[in-house]
Parts: sequence; C-alpha cells; structure tokens
Amino acid sequence: MTAPLLDVENLTVSYRIGKRWIPAVRDFHLQLAPGHIVGLVGESGSGKSTVALALMRYLGSNGRVESGGRLDFAGEDLLSKSDAEMRSIWARRVKLVPQNAGAALNPSMKIGAQVTEVLGAAMGTGGAEAEQAMLQIFHDVNLVDPEKVADRYPHELSGGMQQRVVIAMALITNPELLILDEPTTGLDVTTEAVILDLVRGLMAERDTGVIYITHNLGVVAQLCERVLVLYAGEIMEEAPVEQLYALPRHPYSLGLLNSVPRLGQSKADSRLHSISGNPPALAELTRGCVFADRCEFVIDKCRVEKPPLEQLGDGRAARCFRWEEVDASFLGPAVGSSEGERVLQRDDADTDTLMRVTNLKKHFPVAKSLEDWLRGRTPAPIRAVDGVNLTLRAGQTLGLVGESGSGKTTLSRLIIGLQERTGGQLELLGMDIRNSVRERSPDVLSKLQMVFQNPQNSLNPYLSVRQALRRPLVKLRGMTPAGAEAEVAQLLRRVNLREDYADRFPDELSGGEKQRVVIARAFASDPDLIICDEPVSALDVSVQSAVLNLLARLQEEHGSAYLFISHDLAVVGYLSDVIAVMYLGQLFEVGAASDLFQPPYHPYTEALVSAIPVADPHHKAERMLLHDVLPSAQRLPSGCRFHTRCPRKIGAVCEEEAPPWREVEAGHAIRCHIPLEELSALQHSFPRSEEIG
Amino acid sequence: MNSSLFSRQVAALRRFAGVLLRHPQSALGTALVFFFLFLAIFGSGLAPYPNPNDQRHDVRLSPTLDIGALQLGAHPFGTDRLGRDVYSRVILGAGSIFRIAGLGTVISVLVGSAVGLYMGYRGGWFDELLGRVIDALLAIPALLLALVLVGIIRNLDFEIGSWQAELADNVVLLVIAVLYVPVVARVARSSALDIKTREFVEAAEIRGEPTYYIIFREILPSVIPALVVEASLRFSYAIFLVASLGFLGFGARPPSPDWGLMVNENRGGFYQLTPWALDFPALAIALLVIAVNLMSDGIRRAVQKGN
Amino acid sequence: MLKFLRRRFVFFFFTYLISSLMIFFLLRVLPGDPARVIAGGREATDQQVEQIRSELGLNAPLPQQYVNWLGNFLGGDWGKTIAFRGADNRELIVQRSVNSARLALVALLLSVPLSLVLGIIAGLRENKLPDVIISLLTLSVVSLPEFVTGLFLINIVALGWVRGPLAEALGWWFPSSSAVPANASFYEMLPALWLPAFAATLVLLAYISRLTRAGVIEELKRDYVRTAALKGIPYRSVIVRHVLRNALLPTVTVIAISITWLISGLVVIEYVFGFPGLGSLLIAAIERRDLLLVQSIVMVSVTVILFTNLFADLAYAALNPRIKLG
Repeated sequence: MTAPLLDVENLTVSYRIGKRWIPAVRDFHLQLAPGHIVGLVGESGSGKSTVALALMRYLGSNGRVESGGRLDFAGEDLLSKSDAEMRSIWARRVKLVPQNAGAALNPSMKIGAQVTEVLGAAMGTGGAEAEQAMLQIFHDVNLVDPEKVADRYPHELSGGMQQRVVIAMALITNPELLILDEPTTGLDVTTEAVILDLVRGLMAERDTGVIYITHNLGVVAQLCERVLVLYAGEIMEEAPVEQLYALPRHPYSLGLLNSVPRLGQSKADSRLHSISGNPPALAELTRGCVFADRCEFVIDKCRVEKPPLEQLGDGRAARCFRWEEVDASFLGPAVGSSEGERVLQRDDADTDTLMRVTNLKKHFPVAKSLEDWLRGRTPAPIRAVDGVNLTLRAGQTLGLVGESGSGKTTLSRLIIGLQERTGGQLELLGMDIRNSVRERSPDVLSKLQMVFQNPQNSLNPYLSVRQALRRPLVKLRGMTPAGAEAEVAQLLRRVNLREDYADRFPDELSGGEKQRVVIARAFASDPDLIICDEPVSALDVSVQSAVLNLLARLQEEHGSAYLFISHDLAVVGYLSDVIAVMYLGQLFEVGAASDLFQPPYHPYTEALVSAIPVADPHHKAERMLLHDVLPSAQRLPSGCRFHTRCPRKIGAVCEEEAPPWREVEAGHAIRCHIPLEELSALQHSFPRSEEIG
Repeated sequence: MNSSLFSRQVAALRRFAGVLLRHPQSALGTALVFFFLFLAIFGSGLAPYPNPNDQRHDVRLSPTLDIGALQLGAHPFGTDRLGRDVYSRVILGAGSIFRIAGLGTVISVLVGSAVGLYMGYRGGWFDELLGRVIDALLAIPALLLALVLVGIIRNLDFEIGSWQAELADNVVLLVIAVLYVPVVARVARSSALDIKTREFVEAAEIRGEPTYYIIFREILPSVIPALVVEASLRFSYAIFLVASLGFLGFGARPPSPDWGLMVNENRGGFYQLTPWALDFPALAIALLVIAVNLMSDGIRRAVQKGN
Repeated sequence: MLKFLRRRFVFFFFTYLISSLMIFFLLRVLPGDPARVIAGGREATDQQVEQIRSELGLNAPLPQQYVNWLGNFLGGDWGKTIAFRGADNRELIVQRSVNSARLALVALLLSVPLSLVLGIIAGLRENKLPDVIISLLTLSVVSLPEFVTGLFLINIVALGWVRGPLAEALGWWFPSSSAVPANASFYEMLPALWLPAFAATLVLLAYISRLTRAGVIEELKRDYVRTAALKGIPYRSVIVRHVLRNALLPTVTVIAISITWLISGLVVIEYVFGFPGLGSLLIAAIERRDLLLVQSIVMVSVTVILFTNLFADLAYAALNPRIKLG
C-alpha cells in the first residue's frame, strides 16, 4: 500500500448531552490510500455521520474528539491544526458531500454564485476563470445545460440535480479526500443508480481517496473496495468487499447480510433471517461487547469484556471473540414456512376475488392562475391516478411499485377511503363500496385496514398501547371492555410482544416495536385487506426483516390480503404474489411475482430492476439508466406516458398512441408497443438469489 | 389501569416544572406571578384597610416603615391625596387585574381552541370563511378595538340592574375574551392542521371515529403544549391590555383600586404632591408584567424541551 | 408571481371588506340607539333624536346605511365632527395622521436598526452572556406597558436628569409634555417628538429584536451553514453572506406587523404625552361619543395596516427567490 492519505487510529468522539460527555464513536480506525474507495456501513445511530464530521474536524460546540487518538491526513496531524489552517484544508483538500443536498444549498443564492464561492475560497480564482471551471465541472457531472443551472436557485432543481451540484461543488477543487455521507438517501432508485454511476465514473479518473457512507449494503457492494461495518459507534468488521460478502467474520455483518431479501427471494421459499432486539442507546452502553444482547454467538465473556478489533490478516479485522466460528451454517436454515400450504395457495389462482378496482381515477383540480381567469379556461387537473384496473385476491399480496410521484400512495388512499375518487368503482366482495371513510358502513370499515410508513406518527403519543389496541376491538368488533382486554393480550402475543407492553406508551417503544403495535392494531378488526404503505422503509435494516417475517406469518394465519407498496423491489418481491408496476397514474405491467423479474418485462420495469444496487460485489450488471425526471402529472406526455424517458422507444407510435396491453401468459400482461418476442430478445435475465454466492 | 397514565402525567408535569424552575429568570418570574396570585386571592384579608375607599380626611402621608419593630408602619406606601391607604389599594388591585385578565384569557383559550381545532380538522368552507373573519379581526389593532368596544358599551344607557348593565360592568373582561378568541383559534387551527396529517389520526378515520372523538381524543392532546404556551402569552398581553385600558380611563371606574386607574389619577400635577401614589401601582404593574413575561418565556422553553 | 399577486390582492380586498363590515356593524348593532347617544342620552327629546336620525340617514335599512357609509368613506366624504364643533372629519384626521406618522417615522428610524443589531448579536451568541443580557432587557424592561415607560421618561425629565449641559449645548431640551399645536411643522414639532418617539421605540425594540434573534438562531441550524463553513471561507463571510441573507428576509414582514403594534402603542403614548396625533383624537372621539369620527379613524388605521401588509408581502416576494417569479 502506498503512503496512506488518511490514517486514523483509536479515534473517540463524544457529544455533550446535558452535562455528560457521551462517546458516540469509540476506538475508530481507518486507513485510506489515494484513489481508493472505502465504504462505511451502519444503521441509524451507528455513528457513521459523526465519523464523517470528526474526520472533517467539524463537530460543533457540543462535540469533541477525545485525546489519545490520531487523525493524520497526508502526513499532517489534523487534531493539532488551528481554525485558520483547517479552513485552508477545507477549502481545497478535503470535501464533504452531505446527506440531503436540497438543505445543504443556500436557498436564497444562485447555484453559480455558491459554486464559484468555493473557488474563491480555495485558490482566489474569480470572474471568468471561475465561471469556466464551474461550467467544466457541471459538464463532468452530467448536468444538462450548465449555464442555465448556474443561473437558477436550488429550489428550482430536482433532487437528482441538486445532488449533482453538491458533488460538483466538492470536486471542483480536485480534493485529495472526499467523504460522501448517504448521498443518495431520499432519492428514487432510478436516480440513485444514475448518481452511483456518476460517482464511479468520476472516481475512476481521479486520484481522490473516497469514504462512502451508507446504510445500503447493495450500494457498498457495487461501489467500494473495502468496507467498514459500524455498529453502536464501534467498528465490528473491516474487510475487502468481496470477502465480506462471501464470508463475513462478525455475527453482526452476517446477520445484516442475511436479513436483506435478495431479489427473487419469496416468502414461499423461506423466512428472512433477522437480528432480534434493537440497537443499544448510547447512554446504556455496558463494558462488554455492544452487540452481545442481539448476538446468536454470544458467550459469557462477551458480556463482561469488550473484544478488541482483531487483525485477521488479508486486510481483514473483526471485533469478536469467536470470529473463527462465524459461519452462515451456524445460523441454521431460516425458519421455513409450511411449504405445502403455500404451494396449495400458489396453485389455486382462482381464489376468491376480494376486491375489484375498475377504472379508478383521482384528479386533483389545479387553482386557476390570473392568465386562466383572463382567458376563461380551466387548467388541466393533476392526474395522480388515471384509470387503474386491479384485482386483489383473498389471502394474497399485491405488490405495487414505482418511483415517487407515480401515484401509488394516492391509489392506496383511494382504496382505504382517505381520499375521494374522481371516478371508477371499488367492489369489495362483489359489493360496491362508497367513496370516503365517512360514508362507509362499520362492516366495510372493519374489513379494510392500513399499516403506515412512519411508525413514529402512526401511534398517538398520548395513548397507551392498550388504549390504541382496545379501541378498534370495541369500535369495529363490538367487544365488551372485558373481552377487549383479553384480546389485547392475544394481539400482542401474535405480533411477538410481551403482554406487559400493553401499558407502555409510544415513546417507550423502538421503531420496530411501534410498527408491531401498528400491525396488531390493523389486525384487531380481523380485516380482509390490509394496505401496507412502505411499512418497513422507515426501519433499520436489522429490524426490517423481523417485521417482514411477521407480516408473512400473520397473512398465513389470518388469510388476509395485502396491498403492499414499496420502493424496494426486493422487499416487494419477497412478500408479494402479484406485482403491479405503476408509472404516472397508470399500470404498465402486472404479473406474478415470480415472473416479473424475468424477461420479457416492460422497459420501465426493466429500468427499475436494473437500478437496484445488488448486495453482491460480483454482480456487475449493465444498468439501464433512466435520465430526466418524472414528467408532471398535470402535463402528461402523449401516447405512451413513458416515452419521454424510455430507452427502448421505437418511434413515433410511442408518442402518438397509447400502448396496448399484451398478455405474456395468464395473469402477466405488459403495456407496450414493442412486441413481446422483441422485448425478450433485447433483455437480460436478472440473477436470482440462487445464482449469488 | 390508568395509574400508568396518571403517573406519566405527574412525571411529565414534574419534568416541565423542573425545566421551568431551573432557569433562574423564569423561576423568579413564576415565583412573582404566584406571589401576585396569592395577593389576588387573599388580598382582602391581607390589606390593613380592607375597604379600599376608607379615607382619612386629615392626613396625606408619605410612606412609613417602622424599622425598629421590623414591620410596616401604618401606611407603608403612604396615602393618596384623598387620604386612602396606597398599600391596601395596591394589594386589593391585584384581585381585579387577575380576575379580568385571567378569566378573559381562560374564556378566550377555551373558545378559541374549540373553534380553531374544528376549523383546522374539518377545513372546507367553514374554515375558509371563519379564517377570513379572523384575518380581518386581526387587522384591527387590539387596543383600538378594545377602546371602541368599551367606549361604546359604556356610553349606552341601561336600566340599572338589567342584564345589559351587568354585561357593561364586565365589559373589559368580555372584550379581552372576544379579542383573543381569533388569536388562539389561529394557533389551534395551525396546530390541528399539522397533527391531522399524522397517521394516527388517519388510523382513527379508517376506524370510522366520529369528528368529536378525533378532535378531542386524538388531536387535542398533541395540541395542548402549543395551547399552554399561547395561553401564557395571552395572559401577559391581557394584563398589559387591562392595565392600559385602566390607565386610559376605559377600565375600572373610579374609585376602584385598579392599578392603571390609580396611575392615571395621580399623574400630572398630583405627582409632585403624592409621587408614591403613582409609583407603587406603576411598580406593581411593571413587576407583574415582567414576571408574567419571564414565566411565559420559561413555559415556552420548557414545552419546547418537552417535545 | 402573478398567482401570488392575485392571491394577495384578493386577500387584501376581502379582508378590507370584512373589516369595514365589522367596524360598521359593531358600532351599529350594539344595544342602544346611536342617535339618542349623540343627542345627549335620556334627556334628549324624541324630536331631537328624530332629527339627528334623519340627518345621519339612520332611518334607512342597515345594509343600505353600510353601503352609503362605505361609499362616502371611499369617496372621501367622512362627514362632520360632532365633538370638534363641526370641523370636517377628513381634515381633522389627515392632520392628526400626519402628526402620528411623524412620530411613527422617528420611532421606526430609531428602533429598526437598533433592534436588528441587538437581535443579530443575541442570535449569534445564543445562551451566551450577550444574549442573556439582551433577552432579559428586551423581555422585561422594554415590554412594559407604554404608559409606565412614558411616565417614567416624563418623570426623569421633570426631575431634570436630562436637562444637562449636553442637551443645552445641542440647543434642545426635552419638554415633559409634547403638547405642541396640532398644525405645527415637522421642524417645530421635532423637540416634542423625541420623548414619545423614544417610548415608542422601546415598544418596537422588544418585538423586532426578539423575532430577529429567533430568525438568526433558526438559520444557524440549517445544513447550508455547514456547507458554507466547509468551503473554508471566514466565519464573518459565512454569517454575512449566508446566514444573515436568509435570516433577515422575513424582517420586512416583521416590520410590517410591528406597524400594527405601533398603532396600538401610539394611542397610549400620545395620551400620556398629550401629543396631538390620531390616537389622542380617537380617545377624545370615543369619550365624546362621536360615532362617525370613531368609525373613520378605525377605518384609516385598518387601511394603513392592510396596505403596509400588502406592501410587505410584495417586497418579501420580490426579495425571496423561493417565491417564483414569472
């Protein structure tokens, strides 16, 4: 290895909470050579952003680096630098690309001024020269029309463009070290793929050392050479990326890798592996291993003695006493579902139709502008949902995927009745049901329930778990208070929570526990259909799989149907029987989950699938990138709505005519002008889980 | 089974009080407010001359303090030009200001919250229309509106003992309630708008809960912190307003022991004669306003921290 | 922008309409007979009352009275005073408004720069000593009722504290009363303006500086401040170029809202100092039961406030790039 660009040893960072200093990151090590990319993976609260700020030496007044550590950058000790020296280092040599680019840009300053300001601070360049450099770097990050972008304000750019501007700002001084802190969190998969592609391309040309921080194991696999796995402020494992994914040496890494559903994995095949429990709070750290409480390999020693970060050779290190024994087989097979039953259901395609959605529409009216008034015209409405036909079968899961803005959430809200439809019909068990919850009968209400995205806001903070669960029992199932009391305990047991949780309040529950209570509440009325709108996307990876398993098990026990919405295709694929792909208010492909990831697929589905960062370093698929942003649902493209972004557009017919539905086989249909045989020939098969590892 | 809820509320209240009192300024303010409240409630028992209009025609005295006995003399704040004991009048004045400002605040907070929560939750034309009326009301400066209302109602002739006359006697209290209802309603409305998008409210809607249940059971608890802050702010403005109206001659009528009125009665040429008759009520107003401000600032801080 | 403008104008007219309705009907539908009040209460004969009623057009139905009244007001015919020997309402109000405006102007010129500076210092040093001092000052001393501070100022002057050599050298002295003739010129009035203007300044100081402080603190927490600092530019540039630019944007609105406050405050201050402004006129008009004059004064105040708010909204829109232009 060449002389390290960054050499960090025994770094401990503390935050002041009240009067105490609490170490948020402990004993951190990192070595980075120029031109290399190292990934830093961790869940929320693992301290990964703290590491980023500490490496920048930008901690604010309530954070500090404890003495005894070392933070050397290009041979210089950063910890002993004065503020002025740090400013000159920040100006050109070390750059941070923060999370949430939109907030990181000054809202009242034009993009151009913000970018050239960097050059002014770094090398005193200004005027035309700076302008030139800016346009060049904008070009490098693939910003279309650089002059125009420079003349805009941040809010006038899309999320992806803002992210590119922030990356451009960091790269413009050609820094030696670049820290990217979750740069794609909050962006759509399609946009994320484009940004990752860009970062990979830019880094290949430069000699910059890069630290890439993320919670997404797929992104690391696709981008990085080495990985550090962070948990509760400590490095659990360090390894070259191929080795980590092939054979993790720390129980946490192992659990993490196995808890993410692989694309094509289904609830019918196996349950997901899950790590029990929750990450510890900073204030309750013990002297033993931080992971001991959740570890399946735990021995008595782990609870009293903190394991050191042991060098294993080959550039690997692990903080575990039993690293040699860590092996996927130790975990045993994930608990399988009762195979026979599932197979039976799968075959029985003619199960009862639970709900039929016919030509469902939701158009949001747009307020007239002054010009509209003068010309006496009505502006086009926003067509959030525009003619959707769907059939949900009893006991099955229908997965709904699409980018944000595609209308998935609106569709689900129309079905549950939180929004009133503009047109179309909803039939539940053969009977028409009314528009809004206010008009629906208690009988209908009890049959439809919902699990929300954000567990934080799904429970009333002023009601105990008992109160939250008892209400639907009394209200929708007409139970007596005494009966409801017994049933509350029953419900809690079914979602794997102890009965004494009934007396807790939401602020005494972790995110995963809250979501379990929300699920219990949804099941309280014994519903036929539960709408799950991104139910795990707000949860940490290690908690997600337990909730997914729970949903799968409850479905088996109750025979409830799910309408499952998620941006994560692997998650949708795991839980769904049927998947529908939505784009700009319409469906473009519907098919059985097992068929959907195989060609032929709709070009949009193809783009979504290929955009997924696969948690396998060997998988280097050719991506089909979607440039441009989703068009406005007020000014919809003519013909096929996807034609403005479609990489497989065949010509004028796409712009002029709405595409026909083409049936691939029973229950699998694609809405595209391209004949199915041609699609099949053009498209790659996507590797399924069996082919990985 | 509600013991846990109860103990949680006690704990929350204790935390709240802890934050409020840890800050020296707000602790001082709170202590002073409670001191004045004590005077307001027990004033008639504490004042040496429980009838504020007892006159001693022969004396106009300056303040006295019996230092040897370590106690206040006969007229610790002196007497005014009519020979009335200023000390007693200041003590008795606390009652009227607390009654008017406090009751006015309570009424406006209760009515304003109900109206605002309903507006925020239901939305639609009701919200639109009432929102406009509130905007229009807020465009008229509070003191101007109060002056006009008090002035007009005062000038109307009513049969003595009729309900109208009764009403006119409490006009300041009513005016305060009326003036602050729209302000409180606006705060409650915007909080309700925020809370009603939370998923737990939607979950209640999906259960088919009636409007009153959603407003009072689901939304109200989360809005209470904002309302507490607003109520303390309203109280401080109400005291300000009552004192100003009293001073301008639109509050209590003479010879009531109203602080604002006392200040007004003793200014100008009389000030040279009996400065203490102005200084002490003015000081009382100043202290109470500062105390209430410090307390409401502390309440705001404590509520923010609690969230 | 057009949409924004339209919304603002619609809002303006709607609010104006409702305010005028309220002002009119509040004064008319309250129990009691305004004509009798004007005629002098219970002692007036029915004939006198009837005469006043027909003079004022009070026999017409209420909606028509409202339309007549609003039409007259907008057309500039504000009627004659009863309280001030039949003087023309409009002339009287305009003259007094000019005086109040002078007072307000001096107060704004003093308070806005001062409170911005105090607010910014307090915000940048949150919870440090300068902030604690400024916050305590603005919260307590300065938020006292205007008549308390006003009387305090008068008494200081009456005791001769300020009539020192410095004031004499400058050729000024501060009269404890501001009782100048209502038709005095600005220059003649200036010596009488300082003291009430100072009292009014204190009223605004607390309000504007507290909001400025809150704005600065809020902006300092934003992500873009970190971005700016990590560009390696000096702290001063981070504050001036980035933080203040955003923190001071809402100040336009804050100042507009403070006008509403100022109008309330001026009523008391003018009364305390005996200053011949609109506020003291209002009190006189109410005391003398001159309904038409009261209505006109309140309408003038509302007009000023609504126009200030409209102007502030437009200025804010023009300054803030986040509100789309074009």
